[in-house]
Amino acid sequence: MVAAQTFAVIIFVGMFIMIVLDKIERQYVTLGSGLLTLVVVFGLCMKKGSAIVRTLALGDFFKKDFWYQVEESESAGINWATIIFIAGMMLMVEGMAKAGFFRWLCMKIAFLVKCKTIPVFLTFTILAAVLSMFIDSITVIMFLAAVTVELAHLLKFNPIPMILSEIFCANLGGSATMCGDPPNIIIGTSLGFSFFDFLLNTGVAAGISLVVSVIFLYLAFRKELVTKDGEKIDISKLPKPSEAITNKKDFIISSIIFGCAVVLLITHGTTHLTVATIGLFIGIITLIANAKHASEILKKVDYKTLLFFIGLFIVVSGLEETQILDKIAEFIENISGGDVRLMIAIIVWVSAIASAFVDNIPFAATMVPVIKNLAAASGTPISTLAWALAIGTDIGGSATPIGASANVVGTSVAAKNGHPISWARYCKKLAPATVIVLTISTIYLFVRYV
Amino acid sequence: MSQIIISIGREFGSGGRVIAQALAERFGLPLYDRHLITEIAEKMGMTVEQVEKYNEVPKMKLLSRRVNGYSNSIEDNIAEMQFNIIDEKAASGESFVVVGRCSETKLKKYPGLVSLFILGDMDAKIERVMKVYELNREDAEKFIAKKDKKRKRYHNYHVIGKWGDSRLYDLSVNSSKLGIDKTVDMLADYINARSEALK
Repeated sequence: MVAAQTFAVIIFVGMFIMIVLDKIERQYVTLGSGLLTLVVVFGLCMKKGSAIVRTLALGDFFKKDFWYQVEESESAGINWATIIFIAGMMLMVEGMAKAGFFRWLCMKIAFLVKCKTIPVFLTFTILAAVLSMFIDSITVIMFLAAVTVELAHLLKFNPIPMILSEIFCANLGGSATMCGDPPNIIIGTSLGFSFFDFLLNTGVAAGISLVVSVIFLYLAFRKELVTKDGEKIDISKLPKPSEAITNKKDFIISSIIFGCAVVLLITHGTTHLTVATIGLFIGIITLIANAKHASEILKKVDYKTLLFFIGLFIVVSGLEETQILDKIAEFIENISGGDVRLMIAIIVWVSAIASAFVDNIPFAATMVPVIKNLAAASGTPISTLAWALAIGTDIGGSATPIGASANVVGTSVAAKNGHPISWARYCKKLAPATVIVLTISTIYLFVRYV
Repeated sequence: MSQIIISIGREFGSGGRVIAQALAERFGLPLYDRHLITEIAEKMGMTVEQVEKYNEVPKMKLLSRRVNGYSNSIEDNIAEMQFNIIDEKAASGESFVVVGRCSETKLKKYPGLVSLFILGDMDAKIERVMKVYELNREDAEKFIAKKDKKRKRYHNYHVIGKWGDSRLYDLSVNSSKLGIDKTVDMLADYINARSEALK
């Protein structure tokens, strides 16, 4: 067992280093590391075929629970539900983007507030949070940041404060629901929580934090949010929202599909349809509705990310099967001395600090089995630890430009349009904002669950 | 005359930039080196100093992340802009001389590309750097090593193929053997021959 544990740790650490070094594309890194885990850890060291079968979890597809779940159940190995759900949502988002939905929505809101800087700032930051509750934050920021830059050039204001605020609120909105941020999907599907479970727990924390954050960001950036020389805005020069729609029929269809996805997600606790079923359904409906462009949409799916997830789940299973994660859980229990408050604080803040510098997806995937063991050993409800983990990983990523995907996309869109954002510029306002939100969330968790 | 794009990679101190300038004058072509920085600065509403800070500089890996082709690194984004500008110029059919910017690989698809790499003997490079930058021997040697290391990291990060590897270029020349002027003459002959072959 010692050899298996040693190899599992070496493979895991090696994978993390390779992801950070960014020499080889990350999906090859996780898939290669996953293959090594299967062959070396499970095959050569443990000689346990059952561990390989459990990890590949292909049997899940044939279980009723995987598609229709009446009772909460936990999963292990490759989290296929996460992968199918993300793939389905990717297809839906591609369909929406193709029809011009996101650009239309951004322009429409800008026009509704008469393109005035402060109202645009407030509505765009809130829009970032709300959209990120249902759609991946990369897509949300890609469109919001692009429209912000466009408006900034036309209305002559500095787009950086607005883009930074949008990034922050997108990450915050993502923490509110099960499908808002990949760590939440992993936590939810692994531990059997529903969309509503997240909304009523992390969602409340995100709601309170959003109000505080918008006020903080407004106060922090208010001096920069003025149009140059108080110039009069002639909104007739701006592109009309309707111009963003590439095809009216596709636009209506994609809006309906998005509406369906939202309804299905909100009600999945009562309909008992799992996120895997919802993802598959939404994906298929998108392809049927866009039958003419189905191959084009399929080509745009980010398969690299899906493969990255598959490899990652295998490597984490290596740590789980070799009981390395039990040791980490034991360690957290020991240093917290069984004190739930301390346990929550450790999970929130360690997850947040780690997520500020490394990808929060591998971190969350690793921590899920840890909190499972910790809950069993300490008698703390698993849900309490799950909310702490979700908040820590989702919010912590906002602190630095590399903490979350939305930050990278937002800063890149800004730089490509002549507004480079350095680490110092980014962290000066968003690192304190992150600390404020984490503090509020920690207090919230203490008050509500201890 | 059909399109000709002269791409010049160079070791620091080899006189590559001077050779590029001489070739640009001889063939009556625009030279894109620092001009690219000015162009980006103008296009993006940034100052030349802002762009210069990140020009041909490799990014800090630990402080950077890439997501779906997007990067938070300013170095990456400035590099991307430069690659796009030279590609746009090449696509428009313009003939020009370009220094560095991984142009031997980035512009490979254009038949008019002549890619050259200028290297030099260490002693000659040191002499040259001592003279141009008014440095002592030791500092000049360190300066060359530092600059070449940066160029190598920048190049090898952005494209496949090793910086300075002769297989990557049409011609690699040691400028110390013939001196700058004769090297320019020799390269001009080669470019003329290539230009003829393109007709």
